[in-house]
Amino acid sequence: MMKCWRVHLCMAVIIAALVPAVMLAQQAPVKSYTPPKTPWGDPDLQGMWPSTDMLGVPLQRPDNLGERAFLTDEEYAQREAQAQRTAAADREDFVKPDAKAGINPPSHWAERGRPQRQASLIVDPPNGKMPPLTAEAQRREEARAAASKTRGPHDSWEDHPFYDRCISRGILGSIIPHIYNNGVQIIQQPGYVAVRYEMIHETRIIPLDGRPHAGSSIRSYMGDARGHWEGNTLVVETTNFLGDRNGIGVNGVGTPYSASLRVIERLTRMDSTTLNYEATIDDPKTWTRPWKIFMPLKSDPDYQLLEYACHEGNYALADILSGARAAEKADEEAAKKQSK
Amino acid sequence: MWITVSLRILTFVCSLVIGVMPLFSQARGYRAPRIDGKPDLSGIWQALATANWDLEDHSAQAGPFFQLGAVGAIPPGQGVVEGNEIPYQPWAGEKKQKNMENRWKLDPELKCYMPGVPRATYMPFPFQIIQSQRDILMVYEFASANRVINLGKPQEASTDTWMGTSNGHWEGETLVIDVTGLNGLAWLDRAGNFMSDAAHVVERFTRVSPDRMLYEATIEDPKVFTRPWKISLPLYRRTEKNVQLLDFKCVEFSEELIYGEFKKQPK
Repeated sequence: MMKCWRVHLCMAVIIAALVPAVMLAQQAPVKSYTPPKTPWGDPDLQGMWPSTDMLGVPLQRPDNLGERAFLTDEEYAQREAQAQRTAAADREDFVKPDAKAGINPPSHWAERGRPQRQASLIVDPPNGKMPPLTAEAQRREEARAAASKTRGPHDSWEDHPFYDRCISRGILGSIIPHIYNNGVQIIQQPGYVAVRYEMIHETRIIPLDGRPHAGSSIRSYMGDARGHWEGNTLVVETTNFLGDRNGIGVNGVGTPYSASLRVIERLTRMDSTTLNYEATIDDPKTWTRPWKIFMPLKSDPDYQLLEYACHEGNYALADILSGARAAEKADEEAAKKQSK
Repeated sequence: MWITVSLRILTFVCSLVIGVMPLFSQARGYRAPRIDGKPDLSGIWQALATANWDLEDHSAQAGPFFQLGAVGAIPPGQGVVEGNEIPYQPWAGEKKQKNMENRWKLDPELKCYMPGVPRATYMPFPFQIIQSQRDILMVYEFASANRVINLGKPQEASTDTWMGTSNGHWEGETLVIDVTGLNGLAWLDRAGNFMSDAAHVVERFTRVSPDRMLYEATIEDPKVFTRPWKISLPLYRRTEKNVQLLDFKCVEFSEELIYGEFKKQPK
């Protein structure tokens, strides 16, 4: 009896000790960190926060990982080994003679992430995948697919995504890492936070003064952002998006969201080098439930955010379109010759 | 060799003269509110002058499309160039004339290309200055162009760009920005005024009242001009309630112009 009581007490002590530890682990700050403050008293989030490190973590979780948010040691070791193989390939001066060389730039052209234990950028729903589309969104997708069957893939620039056209990747497409130019810079002043994204050179200016959103007929690719502080967390609510254009994925590809999209982002400094970025995506006209992306961004004070003159240097789009017209002409002439 | 040396001396003397000039124009008496002890230049600003049409004096003219009637006509304006003359070298003066004649084809603004410095400042669109205790960010509504002014240790341009590399410092009430690394592809206005990739621009932003800021820019380019020259014009604060920069992603409005000839034509 005595023994039993002791065991129970022991268990209770262990549980009492564990519960807060587990809760803390889930809620993030293990030990409390006080971020530096700006001279005007706001938490200071300023600096370079490229999302490059998270490159290699897929947006949606692979099926085999199920509801596991993190890799096992074994899976992580595989990712590390893969990263080493990639790094070795990047160090090659020349493409190996037996390699299948395509039109892509050489391997060392791309930036690489750092192996992560996080299984997917999507952390909610628990399976790490985008929730199912609503019936309305399915109908939109079907209509889009039907319309694209009546055209060639390069009939016009309008057949290309907004990224190819250097217009915009949207606010999530601008931070989800891609092969290069993942620079993200935060600059603050009293009453405002500004976020610069390197590729396509876009800037979001986020007022913190509690003003209402712009009128509902003012729509844009990057939406209309309003921010406020909740303790040391910057909370940004963005609405007024242009619907039916960009999706949420690398470079803004994917099922286009509707004009009803509302995104809540939460940015919290966790320690001197980590800025947690969390975005809740809520578009009841497109997805059957809200879903969430999470990325710990790492500070890189030496990162140089260079001018990405995307449109100014967009020779690709003109070349693709003119190439398609030239190919059509060649086909027509070949057909004429054959019929003679 | 001696040419290089004497050019260097000339450049040095010029920059001294340019550096001293503002001392005479300094005593305007207005002291701006402060951000971390420095004059607060933040806010949404816009030029009202017609400098983007032509930096020099210009009369009203018909526009290129009669269908647009009065809407498409060119407004008159008084120039913003000190002395009202841009000191082109002879070849460059001829090129400017050619640019003017072909302006409805050649002006990079038509294609929604980044406007460069100084043109970004006097485009007919607002821009916003975000001023932290460390950096100053300028965001232009036109084409989402932007640049960060480095107020720390001056950095050399790592490559030529449309908006250049900006190193800034404070001289009393004035933010002085040294801009290099410009690629020379942007024009200075719709009249074909231009500079080259050798251009060096020194800008001065000085608040002169709560809602007005003086903008000065000295342009030096040994490939194009015979001497440094200067523009100055006021910028005004946009004071509408809840005013904000909006998206003017003009790429979409330029695609038919740029890629139209490659579009598949219906049979």
